[in-house]
Parts: sequence; C-alpha cells; structure tokens
Amino acid sequence: MKTMTKARLKSPWVMHFDCGSCNGCDIEILAALTPKFDVERFGIVNIGDPKQADVLVVTGPANKRNQRVLKNLYDQMPQPKAVIAVGECACSGAIFHNCPNTLGGVDKVIPVDVYVPGCAARPESIIDGVVLVLQKLQKVSEGEKVD
Amino acid sequence: MVDFANLYTYIPVVLVILAPIIGGIMMGIDRKLTARMQSRMGPPIVQPFYDAIKLWGKEPFIASQLQPILAFGYFGFSIAAFTLLAFGQDMLLMIFTMAIADLCLIFAAFNSKSPYSNIGARRELIAMMSYEPVMLLAAISVFFVTGSFMVGSIYEISQPLLTILPLTFLALIPVLIIDMKKSPFDVSGSGHAHQELVRGIYTEFSGYTLALVELGHWTKITLLLAFASLFWSQNLIVGVVLAFALFFVVLVIDNSYPRLDWKTMIKTTWTVGFLLIIANIVGLIARVVILS
Amino acid sequence: MYGDTLIALTVGFPSLAGILCYALNNRVARRLIVALTAVVLIGSSILLYQGGGFEYEPAPVFDYVVLILDLALLVYFLYAGLKYSNWLVIGLAALQLFPVAYFEFGLGGMSVEPMIVVNELSIMMSLIISIVGSLIVVYALSYMDEHEHHLHIEKSKQPRFFFFMLLLLGAMHGLVFSNSLYWVYFFWEVTTLCSYELIRHDNTEIAVKNSLTALWMNLLGGVGFVAAIYIGFLFVGTISLEELTKRSAAPISLLLFATLAFAAFTKSAQFPFNKWLQGAMVAPTPVSALLHSSTMVNAGIFLILRFAPAFRGTPLSYGAALVGAFTFMITAVLAINERVSKGILAYSTIGNLGLMILCAGINTPLSYAAALTLLVFHSVSKGLLFLCAGVIENRVHTRFVEEWEGLLAKLPRTTIVMIVGMLSMFLPPFGMLLGKWMAIDAISAAPTMGLLIMLMLVLIGSAATTLYYAKWLGHMLVLPQSGKKLGNEELPLPYSISLFSLLSLSVVLGVAASSVLGAVVLPTLPMGYISYISPNLFTIETSYGSFLLYPFWVGVVAIFFVGVLIALRKGGIVKAPYVSGENIVDSPDAFMTTADTQVPMQVSGLFMDNEFSASRVLNYGVVAGVLVVMIMFLTVVL
Repeated sequence: MKTMTKARLKSPWVMHFDCGSCNGCDIEILAALTPKFDVERFGIVNIGDPKQADVLVVTGPANKRNQRVLKNLYDQMPQPKAVIAVGECACSGAIFHNCPNTLGGVDKVIPVDVYVPGCAARPESIIDGVVLVLQKLQKVSEGEKVD
Repeated sequence: MVDFANLYTYIPVVLVILAPIIGGIMMGIDRKLTARMQSRMGPPIVQPFYDAIKLWGKEPFIASQLQPILAFGYFGFSIAAFTLLAFGQDMLLMIFTMAIADLCLIFAAFNSKSPYSNIGARRELIAMMSYEPVMLLAAISVFFVTGSFMVGSIYEISQPLLTILPLTFLALIPVLIIDMKKSPFDVSGSGHAHQELVRGIYTEFSGYTLALVELGHWTKITLLLAFASLFWSQNLIVGVVLAFALFFVVLVIDNSYPRLDWKTMIKTTWTVGFLLIIANIVGLIARVVILS
Repeated sequence: MYGDTLIALTVGFPSLAGILCYALNNRVARRLIVALTAVVLIGSSILLYQGGGFEYEPAPVFDYVVLILDLALLVYFLYAGLKYSNWLVIGLAALQLFPVAYFEFGLGGMSVEPMIVVNELSIMMSLIISIVGSLIVVYALSYMDEHEHHLHIEKSKQPRFFFFMLLLLGAMHGLVFSNSLYWVYFFWEVTTLCSYELIRHDNTEIAVKNSLTALWMNLLGGVGFVAAIYIGFLFVGTISLEELTKRSAAPISLLLFATLAFAAFTKSAQFPFNKWLQGAMVAPTPVSALLHSSTMVNAGIFLILRFAPAFRGTPLSYGAALVGAFTFMITAVLAINERVSKGILAYSTIGNLGLMILCAGINTPLSYAAALTLLVFHSVSKGLLFLCAGVIENRVHTRFVEEWEGLLAKLPRTTIVMIVGMLSMFLPPFGMLLGKWMAIDAISAAPTMGLLIMLMLVLIGSAATTLYYAKWLGHMLVLPQSGKKLGNEELPLPYSISLFSLLSLSVVLGVAASSVLGAVVLPTLPMGYISYISPNLFTIETSYGSFLLYPFWVGVVAIFFVGVLIALRKGGIVKAPYVSGENIVDSPDAFMTTADTQVPMQVSGLFMDNEFSASRVLNYGVVAGVLVVMIMFLTVVL
C-alpha cells in the first residue's frame, strides 16, 4: 500500500453536519468519540472546518432550507472526500420523506458514499460505516473506479 | 573555522533536520498520554505523521496567493530559530525569529476575509504578546548567569542551570502551554479535537498549507523543549528528562483545566512569569551580595 | 578649508531657498528650488562626511545677526500669545525674552570660541536631515497640491508652507553645528517657530489650538535652555558645548545638564510633554513626517547624546533613562487603543524616541551605539511610514486604520511600500530590530540597579509594539474584494521619488547594517567609549551576543523563495472563506443570514477599550511622567 493511501486511511478527519435531525443520531455519533468506543484511536478527529475534513457525516433529511448550506459545505471540502449518511432520515428521509419542505435523503443534494441505516443508528453501525468508507477511500486513492 | 572532519560539527545539522520529526513524535506522545489520562486508547504515536502526509495529498484549496508563502514562512522561520539554537547562537535573536514565524502565521490568517480566522489571528497576537516578554526575560536571566546571550555559553558553566535558575525553568510552563496551544491558554486555535472559533487561526488553512503549519508547530515545540533541556546542559540524558518532565506537567495542566479567556492568559502569564523570573534574578543578586 | 562653504550651504542655502519660495509664488519655480535644495543639501552632507570633523569661527557679524533674529523671534512669540490670548505662551515667551535680553545687554553676553564645531555626531545628524528631510520636502510638492485641491483652497498657501519647511532644514543644521549654547538655543527656537507655523497652516480651529499647545510646550523647553545658559554663565563659567562636555560631574554642571535634558524632553515629546506631538498630527502629513518624526524631534536626542559623555555614570543619567523607558512603555500600550493612523505613528515616534533616550541615559558604549543605530533607522522608516500614510489617506479619504482594508487592490504600490516600511519598524533583520537588540543587550549589562525596572518597561513596550503594528498590518493585508485584480496606481513623480528612495534606503541600510555600524555609528562614539562591537560581513558581534546579519537576510530571501516555489508547484484554487456554509455564490464577501438577507463580512479591529481606557491611562501617564522628571532633577540635588 502506498504511503499516501495508508496515511489517508489512518487519518480520516470527520466533519459532522446535522441537517435537521432529531439529534438522536448526532448523540450516537458523538458517543462514538467517547472513551467507550473511542474512534480517535483510528485517527478520526471531529473537525468543524470543512476545508480540513475528509469525511462528511450527515444526519437528518435534506430540505429546501438546508440544501444550499449542505451543498456549500460539501463543495468546501477538498478531494479526496466521502460522505456518510447516518440514520434513516439522511438515507431516505424516513417518515418525513413526504413532507412539503423535505427533499428526501441527503443523496438528493450531495453524492453519498455510505449509508448507515437505523433510527437512531447505533455507534457500532456508525463505526462499521466508517470502515466501509475507508475501504472506499482506499480504492479511490489507488485509482480504481468505484460505484 | 569550520572543521568538517570533526563529527561534532554535524550534530547541529542533524538536529535541525530531525527537529520537525522530534516535534511530531512529541505531539503523538501528547495525544497518546492525553487519551490514557481520559481512560481511552488513543491514536498511535506516529499519528501526526499520517495526518501530515494525508494533508499534503489533499486537493489544494487556498485562501489567497499569499497564504501558502506565509504558511511556509511559519515553518521556515521556525526551522531558522531552531538552527540558531542548535548552533549555539544568540538567544535574543532566536526569540525574535520565533516571533517572525508566529507573525507569518498571523498574517496568513489575517489575509483571508474569514471572521473566524481574523479573530483567531488577533487572539494569537495577544498570545504572542503574553509569552514573548517572559521568554525574553528568561533569556536575560540566563545572561545574568553566563554573562553572554549565546546559547553556547550555557555549556561552559560548571553548575547546571536548573540549580541556579529553578524559577525561570518554572516560568517556562505558561510559555509552553501557550505555544503548544493547550488549555487553559488555547484561545487562538486549539489542538486536535478541540474547537475554538471553529479552528480559530487555522480555519482557512487546508491541505498542504495546513501540513506546513503543522510542521512549523512541531519545530517550535522541539525548539522550546530543547531550550528547556539546556537547563541541565552537563548531561544530555538529564536534559532530555527535564524536557519530558516539563512536557508532562503541561499535559497534566491541559487535562485539568478548561479553556480560559485571553485576559486571564495575559494576567497569569505575566504575573507568574515575571514574578518567578524577577524573584530568581533578585535571588541571584542577593547571593552575590551576601557572599562578597 | 572649504568647510565654511559647506556650513553656509547646509544652513544658509535652505533658508534662502525658503525665502525664494515665499517670494516667488510659482509652482514650477517651487519644484525647481526644492529639487536644487535637495541636491545641494545631500551633496554637502556627503562632502562633510568625507571631510570629517572640524572647527570654524564665523565672522563676528553673525553673532549680531543671531541676537537680532533671536529677539525678533521671541517678540513674535509674545505677539502670538497676545493674539490668541494664550497666557502660557505669553508667560513662557516673556520668561525667555527678558532673561535673554538681560543676558546679552545687561550681562554682556558670553563669547565662545570656536563658534562652530562639526563633529561626527553633527555629521551623522546632517546626513539624516539632508537625505530624509529633502525627500520629504520633495514629497510635499505633490502632497500639498492634492491637499489644497481637497480643501478647495483658491489662493495657494504653499509659498508659506515651503518657506517654513526649508527653513527648518537650515535651522536643524545650524543646531547641530553650533558650539555655543546660545546659538543652539536660537536655532532650537527657530525650529519651534517652524513647528508652530506649520501645525497651524490650515488655520482651522483645532489646528490653531494644537499649534499653541505645541508652542507653549516647546517654549517651556526653551526656558530650560535659558536657565542652562544662565547656569553656564554664572556658575560653570562657559557656555561652549565642547567645554561643557569636558567638565567633570560637579553638581552645578549636572543641574545644567538636567535643564538641557528637560528641554530635550519637551522637544522630543516625552511624557509628560507628549500632548503637543499628538496634537500636531492635524497638520498636513509632510509636516508630521519632517518635523515630528524624522528630523526636528531628533534634536532632543542629539542634545542628550552630545552631552552624554559629561554625565556618564551619574544618577542623572539613569534618571533620564527612566524617563525614556517609561515613555516607551506607556506609548506602546496606548497605541493599542488608537484608531487613527497618524495617531498610532505619533505614539510610535514618541516611544522610539524614549527608547533612544533610554539608551543615551544608560550611557555605556554599547547603549550609545544602540541609540545612534535607532536614530538612523527610525528616521528613515518613520519618515517613510508617514509619507505612505499621507498618500493612502489622500486616496481613500479615511484616517481610521480599521477602514484600511482591501488596499492591495486599490493602491498596490503604496501599500506594498507601507507594508515593508512597517515590517522594518519591528522585525529582524531590519535595522530597528538591530537597535532594539543592542538596547536590550546594553540594558542587561548596565551598571545600575535600576536596570530591572527599565528592562521590564522595555519588554512590555516591545510586546505592545509588536501587537499594534501587527494588527495594523493585518488590516492592510486583508484581501481585496474578490474579482478585482491588483489595480493600477498612478503615482505622481514626487511621490514615487520620495517613497521609493526611502524604501530603498531602508532596505539597503538594513542589509548593509554592518557597514552602517562600521562607517557611521562606531566612529560617532565619543572619546573613551570603547567596547567590543565588531560588525563584519557575517555578523555583528558584541561582548554579549551575536546578531547574524547576513545569514538572516539570506535566510529571509531563501524562505521567501522556497515558499513561492512550493506555492507555485502545489498551486491551489482560491476558495471563499468558511462561514458555516452560508456563503453566497455570487458575492464572496457577504454571507446569508436570517430572513435570507445578505450581510457583508466585516471584522472590526482589535482594541482593548474594555480593559483600559486610553484617556485615563494617558492622564495617569502624564502625572507619572511629571513625577519621573522630578525624580530626575532630584538625583542632581541628592
């Protein structure tokens, strides 16, 4: 494995954005950072600045109000980047998908790489999702085409 | 003038090349120890290097054409300051060079129109204003002992500096806290996983510019720890242990205290720093007067 | 042999040129006269430098000329006081006029031989006055045109303006070449006249008010001079500078020096006499540059340096040093809260003059050299800064530094010159930092117990200096509004000449600081001031440390070069700043907020008004300044 790829896998900096979720998934994401699950040992750091983040973790459904912000934040992330949609709302809109202001899942606005279902998604699933994202990042970094 | 056959002349050069790496390892140790203090596992010690390499490979986004130049300036002048230390040169010049490095970072942050970056830069200026006089006074107190501002003269005294200037050594604690951007004085942009004003002074840096800033930060840490190790110049191992001890104290304080505001930062650093060093100097003078 | 011609040229030519400017109310003639004066002055100074020190006795008729002009001057001051009903001016002018008249007519005056002594210090001052001063007057050619255009002045007052500017250059030369306290005093008061007239040039209410403040404070210094002349005549037995410098430190001589130091404090606007310099900033910028930063205020420093060998090692010396140190610290702190550009520069000037007085007061060879180094570099850099500030003010129509953002687009050349000028004021490897480094070395090695207090004052002042300059630089470095490339800037010829000459001078002198030390500063050290100061091609070495001049410059260039290389190789897309995702695509300087309104991004400057009130600190500072000056006088008595 090349050094750059290894470095990218060993240091995914996560930016967490809440599109309007009930905060259930957000709490689970932050729980992953606590000593019990401790994702920092994988090099994951919770960064608030998109310019320094590799992975965007999104919760909550995309709606007409926040689509602009979500797109802006995604655009401000430099490549290589990935998006994890955490929770049912982010994946598909869940029970809110028919609401007049909701556009549906986050993938209506930005390309999503990994979907982590659940309401609320458990920390173990979230960590699983991060591992999947890392595998995807590895493939991207090594130049393979990914879907 | 310069004896190329003598191996000892190459030690400073090697030290300068190793300086960012040593600093990176110290940051890694910092994160590991912090994690252990918080009952966590923590990342591997070489984690900072993974971070830096990854950052170097990111798509470059810059805030302006000037920013990368200034970011490199931060790194370059930190190396320059460390070179001065490694070659035993003038301490005052070394501290002023550190100031230029800091100012490069501050100007790079002012350069973009981001409010976070701007306020972070202002706070960093205040942080600089807090620790620079204390460091200068520490260098002056060393001058009172050795009679010279050159680092090389510290190697010529018979007693270890720590036994003559213990309070000055303690005054280095707030300086190191501010420079390592640790609580309680990380008002301008904290270390990893902590946020202050998003990323404070570091907000508009990304990709390779951030990697350069990180390298500069590591070099500065190595510089300060090397300066601390001079307080036992007779024995290299004891000096290194001393540096580690200082580092450890800073970590403990970091994990015990929350972030305080900049007014407290100036007040505490100046009060503690100036009082300790002046007390030390007065003690020195008193000892000379009493003995004669 | 032709030294007397050079004296006549440096003193007389500018004065005559000034009169010509006044008589010929012609723009083209003015430009020619000023250009010619510049050439004559700079040439004469360089010839003087090459010739070295000498003594000269002018014809006795000049004694009478000086006397008549001096009395006329004092009468004019009295008249000015009466005209504006300013009791301080009236009182102080009278306090000078009558004793001086009595001295000359009642007591018969006192002759001094030789009347003119040119030594290395005078030559150094002459170089500064000629080079920096001439460039500033050249700058004024364009500035005053723009200034009068702004104020819609129909009948040009420029003849009057240039008369006093050129007269000042002549008077300053007279001041540094005279050997009699009386002549020095005369030229000193001529500079006071120029200052008073130039500050009130615009004739607004505030200009007149501030000019009167400047007048009475400077007259107060003049009273000190008169006192010194009387002490010299009655008790010491001489008013010759050469003789006085050789006197031993008898208490009565010390009292004379104390009164002269007092006069120097008023001229150099040290606390508690700072108010007039700050008020003088209402004058047109060339006035601030010439009189109040790089030329006239140096007269106070010159006086102290001239006599420093005589009171070396006495408590008076350290008392004067304390005045300087205190002024340095408090002006640096006050400048943090100052919002007007020229106000900040005024504080910086007063502070750096304080640092020079501190060095002169410490009175060791190294500190004397530090004072000289600071003098040279400060004059060049501060003059440059004032000139740039003037250009920028004229173009953007605001004096507040918070509003000086995005200048790189509008005025690229001037802004870059100003940025380099500001960097030269407080960063290594420029000369000002070299001077400060030498100063810290000298204070740490000073043979007095008071050094701890002075060190603390200098360190705090130095930290505050970095703060206020860096935050001003931050304002100037803020990106121009996106989309606008670096604009094209029209700079009239006088501006280009003066700005780029001073900039080049600043950089060249900074790079060649070793040569400056070797060729100008070290030879100016008085007899008996021996110290190991060795400037060579690699470093400037003293007994205490080593300032690696050339490696530093090489390092700066190398770091800049590598930085540019990396930036070019890695490149990068310029992205809008992070504002929590609320950027607006079409206008990168605004962000979206509640109710979908667009708000421009603005950050105000850093000021510590909540922590300390500038006016209160100022008032306490003045009181403290009075106390410190009184302490200095007490050291003579005790």
